Amino acid sequence: MNIESNSFEASIDSLEPIRDFISEKAISAGLNKKKNYGLNLAIDEIATNIIRYGYPAVNISDGKITVIISVENNQLKVVLEDTALAFDPMQHLLPTDDDINKPLEERPIGGLGIMLARQNVDKFEYEFIEGKNRNIFINNIT
Amino acid sequence: MSFSITSEVTNSIAKLTLAGSLDSSSASQMQAEIQKVAGQSPTELVLYLSELTFMASAGLRMLVFAKQKLGTSVQIYLVKPQGQIVDTLQMTGIIHSVHIVDSYPS
Repeated sequence: MNIESNSFEASIDSLEPIRDFISEKAISAGLNKKKNYGLNLAIDEIATNIIRYGYPAVNISDGKITVIISVENNQLKVVLEDTALAFDPMQHLLPTDDDINKPLEERPIGGLGIMLARQNVDKFEYEFIEGKNRNIFINNIT
Repeated sequence: MSFSITSEVTNSIAKLTLAGSLDSSSASQMQAEIQKVAGQSPTELVLYLSELTFMASAGLRMLVFAKQKLGTSVQIYLVKPQGQIVDTLQMTGIIHSVHIVDSYPS
């Protein structure tokens, strides 16, 4: 198994470098373009939440997001680790069908990002271990 | 890819041309352009998206912001969005509130 990791400042300026780091590894591991886009979208949404809400909620201004990528058994696994407020996206309420069908100007906007994160990878998991949030994104390569 | 945006208002039609990645970092630039064109009270908003390669929910929020800022009667046209961006619009239902076209004027 091949594992690579990199640590980024928890700043919105890191979003693009995080996506670029993951894309490069994902494409070279054989993930197709469509799935790579979905993975990037999922990562971007969760990382944005960590940066905008997770760290500010615990008054940490120099937080980090660590990205760990591994490939095993034709599965690409990306883990985002942070020490921000414990937050389980799986427990977050998603927009309902009624919400989705509302006119644009009446849409409740909260939850869209988490919905996109959960729906754009084959499997999404969350765990909280030793004071760290671990958001886990798994994609089948073939 | 870094983000860029330009805007113009001609005959009450606001035209924004976007390129690169629209995420929560670059969305503030789009918000500023929407506020700028809002000052001229456009009747339609046209977004040229063929060069936009990535759009996160922060971009969807900008579509909602545009509708709120310009008024609900202002129609939003998205010209040539890339397939995966259309998928995101579909997944979130926002596709029903915009017009996806191949060219504008058609």
